[in-house]
Amino acid sequence: MSEFDPHALAEEDFLEEVRSVDFWFQAVDGYLRDRSYGRVDGTPEPVMEAGERDNLITTLCNYCVGETAALEASSGLVVIAPNRHAKIFLATQVLDEARHLEVFIRRLSDLGVEDPEHEIELRANPNLVRFKDRLLEFVADRDWDAAVFAQNVILETMEYTVFRAHLQDADPVTAQVLDGVVKDERRHLGFGENDLGRRLVAMPEKRERLAEVRAELDELVLVTFEEVQDSVGVERSARADLGGEYLAAVERLGLT
Amino acid sequence: MSTVEQPDRETELAELVEQHRARRAEGSERRHYDLDDRGFNEVPKKWRKFYRHWLGAGDTLAPNEIICPVCKVVIRSVKEIRAGDRLYCMPCMSRLLVVEADDGTLVPEVVY
Repeated sequence: MSEFDPHALAEEDFLEEVRSVDFWFQAVDGYLRDRSYGRVDGTPEPVMEAGERDNLITTLCNYCVGETAALEASSGLVVIAPNRHAKIFLATQVLDEARHLEVFIRRLSDLGVEDPEHEIELRANPNLVRFKDRLLEFVADRDWDAAVFAQNVILETMEYTVFRAHLQDADPVTAQVLDGVVKDERRHLGFGENDLGRRLVAMPEKRERLAEVRAELDELVLVTFEEVQDSVGVERSARADLGGEYLAAVERLGLT
Repeated sequence: MSTVEQPDRETELAELVEQHRARRAEGSERRHYDLDDRGFNEVPKKWRKFYRHWLGAGDTLAPNEIICPVCKVVIRSVKEIRAGDRLYCMPCMSRLLVVEADDGTLVPEVVY
């Protein structure tokens, strides 16, 4: 057996390891060490046509809306997290989300946007803004299950899917930025699904409540998903697979 | 830019079936593997060789590998994977149990 075999860990030791600040720090060091604001220094800025640049600005503005929602919500969730491991993990997520917001705003500046905050307000997708408002209401109401479901399952799965699709066709600089973000998102969506999954096993009566939350947010999510994919330019033929990842997560949790 | 991470499902399924049949044909001897670092940099160094990215069309799963259903990373084991194995996906913090599907394929199920 290898000296370090993760599959040989006891369950508690595994959870202690992956939700620690130490794990997070070493993980992000692996893929961010050589980057500045998410990009590799010296990568030339690509030449873009005006329409392509404008589309990318709209897309990045909406990424900023999503990341701001996750930053505000995850910081609020630290307070109401039911245990130490969840609090520590969410503290690392807060920093991830802050970094995501920062790198996307920096990318907007790279593209010549002089007042990113103002531009984000102008271009924000109304459905995404409504989703953000609802998510923050769950946090304000101290509704842990609904907030984690909305943020770490719905929002993170949507972002993970859209970012991965986008980076296939993105310009080299945007692709570098997205690549680092996607690696962070793996932790976030995994935390959400596994935390909720454990709680639903222990308290199956919560499933009905989460199914209601899902019914309420599904339309907002799917419309936003469609519109963001339009702006990213994802082929229609590829969309069923992309939406399928969200539906698969919901199915694994028994919320269909 | 990162490698393509979206698995080709048909290829993945066909590979799993083929591997499972091959293992049955070879008997019950369980093979062990020395793992090498495949450049997966999303976990601390000591855990890196236990994971790799799916490389898309043309990639295949070895008998000691399985794809995480949550985050699509390839999980690697020092042993040939069999039904009943418990595996951990550190990149997304998922605990998995390998089960044998009706068609004989090995499938990872998330254990909450």
